[in-house]
Amino acid sequence: MSNYFNTLPLREKLNQLGVCEFMDSREFADGVNALKGKKLVIIGCGAQGLNQGLNLRDSGLDVSYTLRKEAIEGKRDSWKNATENNFKVGTYQELIPTADILINLTPDKQHTAVVKAVMPLMKKDATLSYSHGFNIVEEGMQIRKDITVIMVAPKCPGSEVRAEYVRGFGVPTLIAVHPENDPQGKGLAQAKAYAVGTGGHKAGVLLSSFVAEVKSDLMGEQTILCGLLQTGSILSFDKMIEKGIDAGYASKLVQYGVEVITEALKQGGITAMMDRLSNPAKIKAFEISEEMKDIMRPLFQKHQDDIMSGEFSKTMMEDWANDDKNLLRWRAETGETAFEKTPAGDVKISEQEYFDNYTLMVAFIRAGVELAFETMVQAGIKPESAYYESLHETPLIANTIARKKLFEMNRVISDTAEYGCYLFDQACKPLLADFMKKVATDLVGKNFNEGKDGGVDNRKLIDVNEAIRTHQVEKVGAVLRKAMTAMKAIKTA
Amino acid sequence: MQRPLLHIQDLNLKYQNKLVFDDLSWAIQKGEQWVLSGISGSGKTTLAKAFAGLVDYAGEIEINFDIESKLPAKVLFIESWYQFKNIEGVANFYYQQRYTAQQAKDTLTVNAELAHYGKENDLAFADVEPILIALRFASLKNSQLIELSSGEHKKLQLVKALWLKPQLLIIDQPYVGLDAKSREKLNILLDQACADGVQLILISNEDELPKSINHFAEIENGKLIEISAQEIALAKSNNELGEIPEFLKEAPVYSSDLIAKMVDVNISYGEKQVLKNINWEVKAGEKWLLQGPNGSGKSTLLSLINGDHPQSYANELYLFGNPRGSGESIWDIKQHIGLISPEFHWYFDSSSTVWQSVASGFYDSVGLFQQLPYTKSKQVDELIAYFGLTENKNDLLSSLSLGKQRLVLLARTIIKNPELLILDEPCQGLDQQQTAHFNQLVDELCTNGMTVIYVGHYESQLPSCLEKRIVLENGEVKKIEKIKKENHKVQAHLELID
Repeated sequence: MSNYFNTLPLREKLNQLGVCEFMDSREFADGVNALKGKKLVIIGCGAQGLNQGLNLRDSGLDVSYTLRKEAIEGKRDSWKNATENNFKVGTYQELIPTADILINLTPDKQHTAVVKAVMPLMKKDATLSYSHGFNIVEEGMQIRKDITVIMVAPKCPGSEVRAEYVRGFGVPTLIAVHPENDPQGKGLAQAKAYAVGTGGHKAGVLLSSFVAEVKSDLMGEQTILCGLLQTGSILSFDKMIEKGIDAGYASKLVQYGVEVITEALKQGGITAMMDRLSNPAKIKAFEISEEMKDIMRPLFQKHQDDIMSGEFSKTMMEDWANDDKNLLRWRAETGETAFEKTPAGDVKISEQEYFDNYTLMVAFIRAGVELAFETMVQAGIKPESAYYESLHETPLIANTIARKKLFEMNRVISDTAEYGCYLFDQACKPLLADFMKKVATDLVGKNFNEGKDGGVDNRKLIDVNEAIRTHQVEKVGAVLRKAMTAMKAIKTA
Repeated sequence: MQRPLLHIQDLNLKYQNKLVFDDLSWAIQKGEQWVLSGISGSGKTTLAKAFAGLVDYAGEIEINFDIESKLPAKVLFIESWYQFKNIEGVANFYYQQRYTAQQAKDTLTVNAELAHYGKENDLAFADVEPILIALRFASLKNSQLIELSSGEHKKLQLVKALWLKPQLLIIDQPYVGLDAKSREKLNILLDQACADGVQLILISNEDELPKSINHFAEIENGKLIEISAQEIALAKSNNELGEIPEFLKEAPVYSSDLIAKMVDVNISYGEKQVLKNINWEVKAGEKWLLQGPNGSGKSTLLSLINGDHPQSYANELYLFGNPRGSGESIWDIKQHIGLISPEFHWYFDSSSTVWQSVASGFYDSVGLFQQLPYTKSKQVDELIAYFGLTENKNDLLSSLSLGKQRLVLLARTIIKNPELLILDEPCQGLDQQQTAHFNQLVDELCTNGMTVIYVGHYESQLPSCLEKRIVLENGEVKKIEKIKKENHKVQAHLELID
């Protein structure tokens, strides 16, 4: 198997990277009809598997689960999840030959093994669905030519996919059809019906391609989503300890701060997040985030370049082959950081205080989101795709940090994201070393406005506001967010 | 002279920026046990919260604990609403969640929750056992919080309070959601607590109270007036019911004579069976009363009809004429039904406005995601006016008192004039007059041919249209029978079955 993307001529590379259409709700008027009466068989019954299956069945579709023999015989959790909710469960041999649509919801790393095992069992002209394109694009998995290959990827954790569905809404969803595997031209209709079945059409569906999804997803998760949140959290915590801020307070500010700050981001983009600061703090946050963007730009570009060239996936797959040696070592190191080991103190921090006392994180997030977005767009990824993989997902990841710090974040995200996150984090910390030397507690740990008179220069404020508001990520975001305003806030702080 | 336990001087108290108490003065002497009553929205809860230091106030509230008492020198306020979070600290649940079997354990078990509470308050675990047994809660120790019914959550709150035994215990709506036997038991337990030195303030409009209660007060127009025991049971001044909106007078059009039919239905979670061999048929136009003790499976039974239970698919179940799992979506089912239950209220999206909440009933969604056509939005306005909520229509649901929130959700339940109304303890949190009004409305809707399934623990607070009843016990059907009517009163004939 060789990297699929690298086999394409430049013209076709650009063509596939550029598939990006935010679909009108009228496109879904046919509901689930394209899947009605068909047999949907899901491989794997973890959080995504179970919750997507519950939704599809509640939309009137015929859903069953296939699991490896050992999972069934050992009555593992996946088997219990499926059977206790009254789904039919069978081995690959029993169920795959009956499947019209086979939905692969196993972890990335198992894809090659799973797909190789199931493909010979699939009936002629069936459909194989993925929720991530890594296996097809980076590993270059070749699928039998009669089989239709689609992707349906809800952009939220499995529990949210279910929670939003039962309240009559859904989560934003990305769909795609693999151009090499659409022999009857039915892929798009089926992917749309699938998105209706999980409720995704109510919150906005983005038509993408396997290539665009993978290249943007990897970039987002490595840089702004996981990598920078990890770097920013650790640097902020260490700075506060260095400056004598109470450790319990520092731990709480960092653990919950990203969630509170990015809730504003989720609702109103960078503009809303920056508007939560006082005018002087906003100008300061703008200035230092500009500085950070300049410092980190080469690193963001390197990540994007390695993703595009296949260098990233190649090194990661070498680590897979080496029993995840690097991944496991880096994971253990993250578990040992001072931030991870200091419990959040029993102090009350008001919602506004998270902004006023953690201006540094606001600057980190602005820098990271804009930089990731800009770098992706420069590499040929469309702005809508870049938005989903940067700004849109930041609050979701921030929420996992609030739950149980960085260790939890790295547990919840895929191993692929985790691997990329560590790569970024290790390179980013030294880059920011000089910058961090200048940071004082007014930016992190204490109220920025304390002892300042609150006055600003009109012209300067106008320029800063203008720069924030006219950035392309804000323009695209305003349109996409409109479709998902009804999503509930997930809150822990 | 001994100083009073609680002494209030010139108290000024606001709720949502409106002054509810103006220069209130009051004292509770040692040994006094109080009940506070008052109509919904009169400020009972706000006042109690002020005693517990949970809201801001102007004026003086002085509490004189007995330093020689063995009981903790604390004021404990038990909210009428329960709260819990999952293990990760998120309270982002949805009401169907407890019906879904999921191996990843999301919430604490009752045992772990009690252990945590005991440790926090330095309590001996041995002391909680008799309370658990008295409230028939012991068998739930290994249940997860998410699995508890609303009545069981209420019991858990009470267990904690009775275990802690603070010097001043304030309970807002102690009886809400409890079955008759549990209410009796609770009164005995409260009497014991009083004998041990606890002083009580119960906020309640009910008349089955602990014997120890020796003072009664009513809150009316920002005043606290001491009244006699008899007065508390008297109905409050009566406003006439307005004319119901025209669109609710239309008879529902039934697609099938059979609303629901269950044949040997079984539901279990792992080893635990919650419904056993249920056989039940609901025909179009029938008015059912569903009864059973807390935890007997009532809500689970109703969830099957409302399309909310994942295990419906492996059971023989017919809804609106079609076998369940024959290609219908849950939205196809819900469009025939208007449902309210304590859980539904608990999990409802409180960031919606009153208007949006009522309008969402047209689409069976929790929150409004669509534009309403003109005729429908007129109907929402009309119904909001009928319920007397016009001045609140743009308020956030979460900003209203629980009683008012409940009224909003009741309006949501009937807005589409559905074929089937599922009313699972619809009047929780309402005062007697509001309850009487709502039940009158149900009676009126029934005369138009609507089908009703009603759950209520209070025999005296049921609509008179109910004609049949099904009684559950431990997940089994104990009885299905016609309700005999005498003196035009249902309750005269309902023995105390739960």
